[in-house]
Amino acid sequence: MTAHDREHEPEPEPEIETDPETTETGTENESERSGDAGSGPILVPNRILETDAIEPGVVSLLSRASVVLLGYHELPEQTPPGQARLQFEDRAQNRLDELAESLELAGATVETRLVFTHDREQTLNRVADETNCVATLLPNPSMRLEDVLVPLRGERSVERVAGLVGNLLAGLDVSVTLYHLERGDERASAAVLERGRKVLTGRGVDPELIETRTETSRTPVRAIVRTAEEFDAVVMGESDPGVMTFVFGQTAAEVAERFRGPVLVVRRRGDEDGPADDPTVPVERSEDSTE
Amino acid sequence: MDERPDAGDPPATNVEGDQPVIDASMETEDATVHEEGTELERTITLTGGLSIGVGTMIGAGIFVFPGLAAGRAGPAAAASFAIGAVVALLVALPASELATAMPRSGGGYYFISRGLGTVYGTVVGLGLWLGLVFASAFYLVGFGHYAAAVLAEIGIQLSVNPAVPLGVLFGALLTGLSMTGTERAAAVQNVVVGLLLVILSIFLAYGSLDSLGLFGAESTPERFAPFGPMPVISTAALVFTSYLGFAQVATVAGEIEQPSRNLPLAMIGSVVVVGLFYVTTIFVATSAFSSGDLEAFGETAIVEVAREFVGLPGAVAILVAGLLATVSSANASILSSSRAVYALSKDALLPRRASEINLRYGTPHVALGLAGVPILLLTATGQVELLAEVASFLHLVMYGLLCVALLVLRRNPPEWYDPDFRTPAYPVVPVVGALASFGLIAFMDFRSIAIGIGVMIVSVGWYFVYADEITLKGQV
Repeated sequence: MTAHDREHEPEPEPEIETDPETTETGTENESERSGDAGSGPILVPNRILETDAIEPGVVSLLSRASVVLLGYHELPEQTPPGQARLQFEDRAQNRLDELAESLELAGATVETRLVFTHDREQTLNRVADETNCVATLLPNPSMRLEDVLVPLRGERSVERVAGLVGNLLAGLDVSVTLYHLERGDERASAAVLERGRKVLTGRGVDPELIETRTETSRTPVRAIVRTAEEFDAVVMGESDPGVMTFVFGQTAAEVAERFRGPVLVVRRRGDEDGPADDPTVPVERSEDSTE
Repeated sequence: MDERPDAGDPPATNVEGDQPVIDASMETEDATVHEEGTELERTITLTGGLSIGVGTMIGAGIFVFPGLAAGRAGPAAAASFAIGAVVALLVALPASELATAMPRSGGGYYFISRGLGTVYGTVVGLGLWLGLVFASAFYLVGFGHYAAAVLAEIGIQLSVNPAVPLGVLFGALLTGLSMTGTERAAAVQNVVVGLLLVILSIFLAYGSLDSLGLFGAESTPERFAPFGPMPVISTAALVFTSYLGFAQVATVAGEIEQPSRNLPLAMIGSVVVVGLFYVTTIFVATSAFSSGDLEAFGETAIVEVAREFVGLPGAVAILVAGLLATVSSANASILSSSRAVYALSKDALLPRRASEINLRYGTPHVALGLAGVPILLLTATGQVELLAEVASFLHLVMYGLLCVALLVLRRNPPEWYDPDFRTPAYPVVPVVGALASFGLIAFMDFRSIAIGIGVMIVSVGWYFVYADEITLKGQV
């Protein structure tokens, strides 16, 4: 089943804060457990006229993925996109084909898109929506891929984040470290990490390659970036552990800005905005869902 | 001139051997998707479109014309602006229909070259480029007058009038900035236009209440049309420059989001908004001063009106607003003019080199230069009324032909013609729109008409020398 199919399933109730009891029993867990969580294409945006090649580490990370390779060229407001197309289309298309070929050689399935735009954000969001991408790669350079850090949050996103990691890395000789920022509740942390491990092994990742780690910190971005320094890539969910989102902006974007390697950001699904990923989830709920 | 809308024939070349770049594309709400898959993102919102329209127009009607218009027509100058608004609206409706049928950049040029054929397209395209050049020079001279008034206000006395040199200087600065790539210029433009509308609304609301006698001040008794009806119409022809902006929305039609909804709203909406502001402005100005006084105040008459109502703070606020408004109009026109050059070059009616993009700044530097350099030369003449009328002339020719193009397309609609917006009261609106557009030209100054016709003759000559084999009719 693809991400597209999943869209047609009944939408789970989003109002977790008004009624936390009922939201746990809905259709979401069914679909999340059905084994397709985190499956779907990955958006890989490139500033096409300035990208010579996709770094080897990124190629390995994507070698089992279905990739939407987006080549874009961002223009100043006074330049009509059509005018830029006239001059740069051939070069951009050739470059894009080369990049696509390098991913295909590694085993990825690739669909290419070429866009001339005034607004990069708008283009990325539109293409990601149109192609039902489950994650976006923030492409920092990376020469090799030996270990990946996977910061996890509340249990809702675990299925998708760990599921995607499992799909990408199963069968590869890459170690995965599941990471959780503890907020004064060891049991909750342990439950999240255990569930993540289950998802990974379920997707075929060698249990020997899975590690877990917890940490306590009041500054999640700094903690994640510091820990990530030992790793070659980071895979994480889009939204932040809780209220901090509103104060400090999106964690993933900040991590991507400070971390030198590639960051794969798993997109939030429509039903998950708001405090669904709040780390202060009651323990019994985590236990429920790991059943 | 043998136009065949037969898309099967490959398009012929111009004297340099270039062909028009015409390729099948599909328009969606968010992007233009070409056959081979390349997408062009649409990024201008309704606010952005309105801001282009209003921002281009508002500089002239309020901040340059009131004194000149009142001097010519007396308090009936308000009627002149109203006539201008009606003519603009009669053209904006057909233009909206054409724009939703062909939401491509190039504006009036594109619609006419596809609807009526290459020779009309060449005349209108070169006319659009030069019309915007004249308009931009006019705005810059207006800017110069405001800058000079600011200098006078803070007590700097110069032996020569600094208005024209300041206008040229600022024109050079604007062209330079747009060539080197300005960050977030559109966002700044939106804020500037919003700010202008707020300042003007407060000023006009106060002025209107005052003029109606609510604050007990005496209004100036004067006959409505002291010089008779003819000057009212000739003034309408002069001030029509204040309504040129709505068509500039169509020059970026290819970049506007949800074009079927936003293009008509932005074009018609901006004409209605500025029309109301203009008429109110003239009403307030002619209530405060006699038309003779207004004429004596010249280009910055509205500053004196504000001073009369609110004292020095009012004068300062309007001076600042005048600087912002004329700059925003000039800037928007330079950019639109460069887009007209691009549209012509893409269709091989101008050398391909004209649409080249600068590799360092990513800007269309040749097209911007082709707009900027003649603008500076014309600004240096300092001829406000002549610049305004030539700009109006060249635009009115386009507007008239636009209405004709609509009639031609509606009478015998090609397969691709499927507009989302349909002109109401067809065929009355386009017929009256065409007659009014061409009619207004007759009321212009002789020199303006001569220059305008000269530009058209050169354009036709250019077509026969450079590109008479090219067929654009129906090539969408």
